[in-house]
Amino acid sequence: MNESTLFLITFIVYIIAAFFYFSFLLSKKESSAKTGLSVVTVGFFVHTLALIWRTIESGHAPFTNMYESLSFLAWSGALAYIIIEYKYKIRKVGPYLMLIIIGIMALASSPLMPDEATPLMPALQSYWLWLHVSVTLLGEAFFAVAFVTSIMYLVADSREKKGIAKEGAISSEKLDSISYRCVAVGFPLFTLGGLVFGMVWAYKAWGTYWSWDPKETWSLITWFVFALYLHTRIVMGWKGRRSALIAIIGFLAAMFTYFGVNYLLAGLHSYA
Amino acid sequence: MKSFIRFLSSVIRFLSSVKLAIVLIIIITIASVIGTLIPQLRSAEEYLARYGQISELLMQLEITDLYHSWWFKALLILFSLNIVICTLTRLSPKLRRAFKPNLEFETQTLLAAKIQERFSKNLNLEKSKRELKKELRSAHYRIKETEKDGAVHLLARKKILGIFGSDIVHLGLLIILIGGIISSFSGFRTNINISEGEIVQVLNTEFKLQLDKFETEYYPDGRVKDWKSTLTIIEDETPRLTKTIEVNHPLTYKGHVFYQSDVGWNWRNPILEIRATKTSDPTSFTKAFLRLGEKEIWEEENLEFTALQFLPDFIIDGNQPMTRSLDPNNPAVFIEVYRNEEKISSGWIFAKFPDFSQMHSEEEADYKFEFKDIQAAQYSGIQMSKDPGVNFIWVGCGFLMIGLFLAFYWPTRDIRFILKDTVGKTEIISAGRSAKSKLALESEFTRIMTSFRRSQ
Repeated sequence: MNESTLFLITFIVYIIAAFFYFSFLLSKKESSAKTGLSVVTVGFFVHTLALIWRTIESGHAPFTNMYESLSFLAWSGALAYIIIEYKYKIRKVGPYLMLIIIGIMALASSPLMPDEATPLMPALQSYWLWLHVSVTLLGEAFFAVAFVTSIMYLVADSREKKGIAKEGAISSEKLDSISYRCVAVGFPLFTLGGLVFGMVWAYKAWGTYWSWDPKETWSLITWFVFALYLHTRIVMGWKGRRSALIAIIGFLAAMFTYFGVNYLLAGLHSYA
Repeated sequence: MKSFIRFLSSVIRFLSSVKLAIVLIIIITIASVIGTLIPQLRSAEEYLARYGQISELLMQLEITDLYHSWWFKALLILFSLNIVICTLTRLSPKLRRAFKPNLEFETQTLLAAKIQERFSKNLNLEKSKRELKKELRSAHYRIKETEKDGAVHLLARKKILGIFGSDIVHLGLLIILIGGIISSFSGFRTNINISEGEIVQVLNTEFKLQLDKFETEYYPDGRVKDWKSTLTIIEDETPRLTKTIEVNHPLTYKGHVFYQSDVGWNWRNPILEIRATKTSDPTSFTKAFLRLGEKEIWEEENLEFTALQFLPDFIIDGNQPMTRSLDPNNPAVFIEVYRNEEKISSGWIFAKFPDFSQMHSEEEADYKFEFKDIQAAQYSGIQMSKDPGVNFIWVGCGFLMIGLFLAFYWPTRDIRFILKDTVGKTEIISAGRSAKSKLALESEFTRIMTSFRRSQ
């Protein structure tokens, strides 16, 4: 038994959960969705164990390379989903979100991602690593849920307009309000973890809280997109389609900050 | 004067528009994206090679240093003004709502609310009011009351600070922007490369920095774990503060912060190991450890030689020896050889190419000079920064987070009541209002009213 076995078990459990969810989508049996949720919860606990194991084994926070941080992002996604599901009982979001989580897990286990636990370079040896990365990724996990519910909104909305909405489908209005609630949780977390903690740590390590490094700039861009979402919605009363599109762009910007910047743009954040 | 006021008010109207804020957010976002796609602060040649004809335009529009360009700064200033005016124009109705709320509500408006109830209570007005207040207080509501046309008006509210959440966020952002401006005008950074035992005057300050000790810690696999420098600040010739700094743990003295940034070797004036051998008799040789300008005397052969110039990364550029970099990729030293005060030979010798020496002999000399090794002093790379704006940033971040918390997690709720005396009984009309937590208010409202109806 070791961390990679636990990771593999988690991966398989998530796939089984997705299987139950999709059978729920097809059969409409509430019981399949309930089983799916329990299976995700089990997977989440195994995943938690895997992360703890990794932390003990490597002696540092479990998000210092791409494999680790992807695994943590998938964990945050599962957590965000479990919270949203218990709170709002939106079973139909489950299958799609599980696909994203499984995609992230698959990416993490791909041979392209170095998964070897390496000793921490000097700049990363700080408790700010914990605060900065975990809070940011948790915020992004809620953006991921908003992304899924926004896409579902667009589909539901166009079906309702054409009058071909299926019996028992979640109303577009509910999807719209869940998207907003996810952004309302994700935005403060992202601000705190990504921007505030990021600035504090940058100041502690580099002597400057802001240097327009591409990763910093892209997290600001992500932040601006969600600020736009909130202002158009709260002040100008935008709802529905336009809101959903902004939330989708926001999540894509967050993902570009997370992946794209590392591979396409060089900068100070070159190690993560 | 009149036209000036009209002009001013139209400027304020322009700046108070949320549409402007949205347009500015979009423009600033797009500009920021462009700044990450076009590499910043490169040489003109690089831009020409990359973008050809339009490179000149890019440089003229300062897109090559976009985040510090005049137009980007202008956008940020306009955005700040926009935030100030937007916040201020929306503040006074909120302040009135919080501190001088209108208690004169109409029955009709209350009944038009989504969350509302109208019923009759089997107690007189005075008792009903007392019971109702008790219920509201136990649910942590604060109550204001007034009388109008013989009816009692009650306004019960909680989490009223929530309505100021967005204003506090904006205040935080402004403080951060002000901090940024202060940083960009009076912030100051410099690199100090300092070797053990060295004392360096710190640029733009009254004090000196001394490196007492420097060490590199390694992991078992040989990777660098940490760099530690023990620094002493010397002011007025007296040591004031000594601290060991490492990455992530800087030293602060009078607003100047010293960071451990890296390690390096000083290749400008290293110790050069030069070996001279007599070609006709290889058993006769000498080894010298020289710094530039130092002289080595080889008594047996009655020779003297000196190292005059050192280039860490030798290259010939238009007949002129140059160094390509400060890294020792191709170290070369220029030496001169004397006998009886007379130069007999001189030239470049190379550490990596011992056979490629370019000694120009004044007379046929029977000596071979080899550049065997170099030892450079290790220095600790310290970065010093003084940034008076940074405290504004932290205060601004504090307001930002408090504001976000209030805006999202401290939803204001209020319940309005009209109590009318109807011959020993009391007619009660009530309506609840909450912009951000309707569902929660609805269940709380039902709970309070149910409990109130049961009360005696």
